[in-house]
Amino acid sequence: MALIAVTVAAWSTARMYQARRDAYGASARAELIERQAKAAEARTTALTEEIRQLARKRIPAAATALSHRTAPVPGLREAAGIEGDAAHLLTEAVQAVRTAVLEERGRVDAAARSAMRGTSAKIQSLLNQSQHLLQELQHEYDDPRILQLDFRNELALRRTQATAVLCDAWPGLARQNSSLVEVVLGAQSRVAGYERIKVANHLRQERLALVARAAEPLAIALAELLANATAYSHPDTEVPVTVQQSAGRGALILVDDAGIGMDDDALKRARALLAGPSEVLLTELGDPPQTGFAVVGRLIARYGFSCHIEASPYGGMRTMLRIPAHLLTVMDDDRTLSVLAPKPVQARGAGAAAGPAPGAPAAPLASPAPAAPPLGTALPTPSEPAGPAGSAAFVPAGPVPEPGPVPEPGPVPEPGPGPASAAEEAPPAAGLPTRRRRSPRTASPEASTARQQAPEEPPLLRTPEQAGAAWAALQEGTLSGRRAPERSAPPASPSDDQGDDET
Amino acid sequence: MTPGPGRRLIPAYLVTGGRSTPTGPALDRLAVLVRTDAALPRGTGSEQRRLCELLEPGALTVVECAAHLDLPVSATVFLATDLVAAGHLHARPPIPSAGELDRSLVERLLVGLRSLH
Repeated sequence: MALIAVTVAAWSTARMYQARRDAYGASARAELIERQAKAAEARTTALTEEIRQLARKRIPAAATALSHRTAPVPGLREAAGIEGDAAHLLTEAVQAVRTAVLEERGRVDAAARSAMRGTSAKIQSLLNQSQHLLQELQHEYDDPRILQLDFRNELALRRTQATAVLCDAWPGLARQNSSLVEVVLGAQSRVAGYERIKVANHLRQERLALVARAAEPLAIALAELLANATAYSHPDTEVPVTVQQSAGRGALILVDDAGIGMDDDALKRARALLAGPSEVLLTELGDPPQTGFAVVGRLIARYGFSCHIEASPYGGMRTMLRIPAHLLTVMDDDRTLSVLAPKPVQARGAGAAAGPAPGAPAAPLASPAPAAPPLGTALPTPSEPAGPAGSAAFVPAGPVPEPGPVPEPGPVPEPGPGPASAAEEAPPAAGLPTRRRRSPRTASPEASTARQQAPEEPPLLRTPEQAGAAWAALQEGTLSGRRAPERSAPPASPSDDQGDDET
Repeated sequence: MTPGPGRRLIPAYLVTGGRSTPTGPALDRLAVLVRTDAALPRGTGSEQRRLCELLEPGALTVVECAAHLDLPVSATVFLATDLVAAGHLHARPPIPSAGELDRSLVERLLVGLRSLH
């Protein structure tokens, strides 16, 4: 009986214990569930907050950052609040939005460019037509306003052409091989304030030319650089341009300005554009759009010349356009250079005193551009042994008396320097009227020795004695000549002779 | 897209140096230019030098110079007036073409001549 009672008691105790344990377990489970529910709720709230952050802050900020690189893009609000997977997905959403925006931007930009390309091609061809008409008018009428109109037309043409190039268009016209100096002058003529641009020709070969396909692109690129130089410098300052051959059979065009210079950010941006990126978006050009360097960059990417920009010794910026040898050639002999093209400086002495002493800043030049030789070596001439161009420009001021423009034989074999310069000197044989004096000018005593007629002048200035002697000699000769037939042929009618002699 | 036969590379207005009118008295296209003996200074532009070379053998009119230089007359006038101002050239206005004769004068002359008989 007692055993039964003990057993029952133990059992009941065990039951009770069990029940208590069950109850405890149940309550613990309930607590756990409650806690889990709370955690899930917290997670959901956090996730909702993160999604709100994503929708309201992160995605707009990411889109903004695509156009403004410095704009901050916020991340997750509380990285610990959500699990790795969700965080990863949220970040992926931002990335997807970025990609979509970029693609859409590229598409919109391409559409805008193609629209602009079409329009500018049309305007360009119209402006070209009006240029032809203006040129005809210039030859027909003497009004100087037509020249101004032509200039305005040229400015408009440059803008249009630059826009077209920026929109991946072809430069819009084909040229023949063109003299490098003429291309530089052509670029000069396309810029407002062109009268401030002073071109110094330091070429060894006067007839150095650009191959046909590079002529117009180079003119466009140089015009943009010149436009920058004139636009960002004071109207009273000059913009010296130096054209020279580099030692590596290429050519170099330096554009200096004494302008306001550029800050580091602008310089970085300019260098990025000048490196020739594969694509330039219109949306990246700012407002108002700054197209200059972008245009040069597009042309660099396509035609193979290069451009470098740095601080100029003149105070502003210096841009260097380097033309590789494969884009250079020599002009045919039958093409004469324009009268406006400046002659090489060496051939004319120190004619261009304004010619910037390009030898002076040789040191800063060499470091950023390993391919560029120090400028001094670009101008070695046999007559001036140790000559950085700077000193060379000043040395011959006095003693060199106008040597003919004999082109120095450069490294590239020139077909014929002699005929070339002769053709240059001779007046165009186009059948135009050339009035010449029957007797060369009897110049006043101070007739300069530089004049070509100088040697012919002395015999023409006769003194009365000389004239008398000459006539006396003639008369004497006549008399003696008549006497001779008289002696040899006496039967000839004497009356005639006598009559003549008496007179 | 290409308009006609090639676009010129160097426009004529480059010689104006940004001026709208020539400095100095206006030159007629038939004005005669004569080279003086003043030597050209060293900094002279190639186009001015070329114009002076053209005039070395003798006088030419502005329009003839323009044809030789392959420039329009209006641009040549800029060059010439500069050189005239600097004393390197003389410019002589063209001889005016004979105007219409005064008819009454001729008639009176005729009357006078007849009265002589």
